[in-house]
Amino acid sequence: MKRILPLLGAAVILVVILTIFLGPYAWIVASSFKPQFAIFRDLNPISWGTFIPANPTIENFIHLFANRGVGRALINSAIVSSCQVLGTLFLCSMAAYGLTRIRFKGAGIVFGIVLMTFLLPIESLMVPLFMHVSKLGMQDTLVGVFIPWIASPFGLFMLRQAFEDLPRELDEAATIDGAGHWRIFWSIVLPNVRTTLATLALVTFLFSWNAFLWPLVIIQSPKNQLIQLAIAQSVAIGQLPNWGETFAGATIATIPLIVLFLFLQRYFVRGIALTGVKG
Amino acid sequence: MTRALRHWAAVIAFVGPFLFMLLMFQYVPVARMLWDSLWDFALLNPDKRTFVGLGNYLDLFDDPDRRQAFLVTFGFAAGVVLTVIPVSFLVAVYLNGTLPARAIVRAVVFLPVVTSAVVIATMWTFLLDPNNGLINGALVILGLPKLAFLTSKAQALPSVIGMMLWQQTGFATVLFLSGLQGIPRDLEDAARVDGCSALQRLRHVVIPLLSRTTVFIVVIMTVFSLQAFAPALIMTSGGPEGTTNFVAFDIYQLAFSLQQPGLASAVSAVFMAVVMGISLVQMRLLRTRWTY
Amino acid sequence: MLRFATALLATALFAAPALAGDRSAPTADCPQGVLTLSVLKPLNNPPTPAMISAWESGNKCIKIALNEVPFGQLADKISVLAAATNPPDLLMFDGPNTQTYAAAGILLPLDKYFPAGLKDDIVAPTLAEHTYEGKIYSPGTQQASLALYYNADMLAPLGITPPKDLDKAWTWAQAIEAMKKCQKGEGDNVSVWGLAPSRFGNATPGFVFRDFLFVRTFGDPKAPPESSLYKTYWGISPDGKTAQGWLNTPEAVEGAKLFADLFNVHKITPKAGIPNAFQDKKACFTIDVSYFAAGLVNNDPGFKWGVTPLPYVRTPVVHTGSLTLGVTAKSTNPDEAAKFVIDVSTGKIAEDYNRAARALPAMKSIGARIEWLKEYPLNIFQEEVEKWGHPRPPSAHFAQYDKIVSDALRDIAYGADAKTRLDAAARAVQPLLAR
Repeated sequence: MKRILPLLGAAVILVVILTIFLGPYAWIVASSFKPQFAIFRDLNPISWGTFIPANPTIENFIHLFANRGVGRALINSAIVSSCQVLGTLFLCSMAAYGLTRIRFKGAGIVFGIVLMTFLLPIESLMVPLFMHVSKLGMQDTLVGVFIPWIASPFGLFMLRQAFEDLPRELDEAATIDGAGHWRIFWSIVLPNVRTTLATLALVTFLFSWNAFLWPLVIIQSPKNQLIQLAIAQSVAIGQLPNWGETFAGATIATIPLIVLFLFLQRYFVRGIALTGVKG
Repeated sequence: MTRALRHWAAVIAFVGPFLFMLLMFQYVPVARMLWDSLWDFALLNPDKRTFVGLGNYLDLFDDPDRRQAFLVTFGFAAGVVLTVIPVSFLVAVYLNGTLPARAIVRAVVFLPVVTSAVVIATMWTFLLDPNNGLINGALVILGLPKLAFLTSKAQALPSVIGMMLWQQTGFATVLFLSGLQGIPRDLEDAARVDGCSALQRLRHVVIPLLSRTTVFIVVIMTVFSLQAFAPALIMTSGGPEGTTNFVAFDIYQLAFSLQQPGLASAVSAVFMAVVMGISLVQMRLLRTRWTY
Repeated sequence: MLRFATALLATALFAAPALAGDRSAPTADCPQGVLTLSVLKPLNNPPTPAMISAWESGNKCIKIALNEVPFGQLADKISVLAAATNPPDLLMFDGPNTQTYAAAGILLPLDKYFPAGLKDDIVAPTLAEHTYEGKIYSPGTQQASLALYYNADMLAPLGITPPKDLDKAWTWAQAIEAMKKCQKGEGDNVSVWGLAPSRFGNATPGFVFRDFLFVRTFGDPKAPPESSLYKTYWGISPDGKTAQGWLNTPEAVEGAKLFADLFNVHKITPKAGIPNAFQDKKACFTIDVSYFAAGLVNNDPGFKWGVTPLPYVRTPVVHTGSLTLGVTAKSTNPDEAAKFVIDVSTGKIAEDYNRAARALPAMKSIGARIEWLKEYPLNIFQEEVEKWGHPRPPSAHFAQYDKIVSDALRDIAYGADAKTRLDAAARAVQPLLAR
């Protein structure tokens, strides 16, 4: 008895945690396979039917792809996120190399300039940035969505730390062999920080894919629609939503990240732990 | 090419692009924001503008709606921090025990972290729907009365805090968990040998050792909460009575719906100053060496 | 890897502007290429696919590309787009915003494109709404007013027969009585609501077009102009510059309280939206426009329904004004865009639309040909426009007034103190109007 009681307690807690965190997902996913009336009917009262569709239909998904341009939005989001990841990796690793491997006067000032923006809330920038990016002719373009963020101070910090941790003997040996900066950067430093690069790529992808406020401001036309905007557009503001369709959209927008997360969990958690340990 | 020239060419090649983009997309907009905050104009017709000096700043300090937006935002951040810390700590302690399905539970708790703010807000709009929402459905099953949630002045902000707690618990849990796992085993064993109970060990060994992690989580949660925008746009339109009118949403509304980008820029500038101030204080705290 | 990355970046950078052109390469039928006109419009509103394909079949070398947003996001979207470098050619906007957009220089005056006689064909309220400083900005595709739809099968057993004539219209006291009787269940267990929740605007309570009528009906346009009854009726000064003392009169507060009582005292309508509440028999009554009837005719809900004039308190009043099509000032194809506007707003395309959608025509000539405008139930909407109709408060800042007043009414429905909240709204909107 003394052994069983704590075990039972742990099991109850387990069930509670799983219900709280998985319940909403289960409801959303199940409901996305139901017509609207069934979603309401199955809620009063809650039963197994709430979480398992009795007569599943993919009508909602078909409608989203056929009439709401969700396919296009997914492709656009994939393009934007990939470009943002590549751009961020490129710019940040170059700059991190410059700051850690080339000694130059003013490096401290440069770092200070970067440091300042680390604390800048981007929410406060949206209005001037909108006017600025419009002036540059990038309003309502996919480029305009990611270009302002690829010089990421967060990315620079993360990589700078990793570069610092790399023993200098490695590249000093290469310098003696006559290798230039570019070769050292490309074939010695980068391969040695692969895990950090992967982590940064993943975190950047996550933020880019999930971004909302800036795309909402800068994107207007349907051909440049992004997935988060498509979802937001089908929800409460502006009209009574079709619940099933909205749930289907939420499901579609979330699946790529969940798949990515399940396969690359190690990196996600590492990325967070990394920022946590190092501060 | 001389040596010095080559040196500077390399510096420019490596650091230049990043710096250029940073100046272009962060510093220029900041300058523009400060400049615009001195004018009164409409986005519909941005070239027709009147210089008002510090008028927008005076207006914003004078305007109860703006003051409320700041209060609501910081109240929200405080609410999130004060709930996320204890909840995620308990979950982390639980996960740190001997548990068969630990990896799975950790993954499940972490799911909301990788889900977008838009999807979460959408999901919760329906979870919190007073007529047909899942949570009210569950309350009815338990024999409790339905709640008004987002349609009630008193419940709207707590509801959104609850949503944020649900979303961010996983993040903080993972941080606490890595903190817990970093505690040397022998330290705990020693305490056990000394006859400390589990609770005592928690109080006198574990919690003090986690103070650094805790401060870090406070910083991260504050930053995340101050960014809140999607819940206001998708769930509440900032209402009822401005109780969920987060500053980010207020700026958006002022600039676009109410056509006062000058005032919006002034709000942005004040917000930026306050957030940077808070972050600096918190970073300073973080840098403090915690002696065990 | 790096080369691939740069290539991808470069493609993204240069491909984007290339996509922006609005004229395709020449083809055999169209030597100048196919021109694409872009339209920003709210979802589920005209121009409908039928209107567009009818027009495209007569204009083979022009295609219409739609950008659809939910109605509640339309005004914000227009504000952003107007400041943009590449706005759409055409806007479907809410008629009362004509002044706002015209004053800001977003819309193109269409006077020079109007054929002779067109202006005289436009019904009076539409013509007034679409004119600013002597110039006209849109002909108008439809007029609108609100009336009360009811589920006749639910009312019959209760012995309730709503009036069919405007002269015998219910007061709100009578209407609330009927709604209470018809409601099934109370508290947390309502299965049938007396009045369906609003589907307008944000789909929350408060949308000016519907819910500000509760306030205006407490006023009186025939009272002396300095009286608060008069000011209540208008909600804003005639020059559109003052809301203080017009929006928050004692009578306006009474009206807002009546509105709030529906939710909090009588509890005959829910605070959160329910999709299709009326059609799904979850509500006995709903306040809606004439084109709501098209939905009931095309998708039989399985019960008998009827329409009764909108209830009132002191003065019967409905808001006129509806969505309408205009050309943006920055359009690079103003001639073609103006032709589209005029073609789909007049003649057969407009008539077919008005008939199919049960939308009140904005053209007198079309109105004269549509028989159901004079027959029950839809005659009620037409007569309301003629006898009770008034535009929403006119101002070059109506869009902002609309938003602030809608938010205030929503909060009042949720339980805010009517006087405090209306005072706050008047205070917030005043500097915007005075600009």
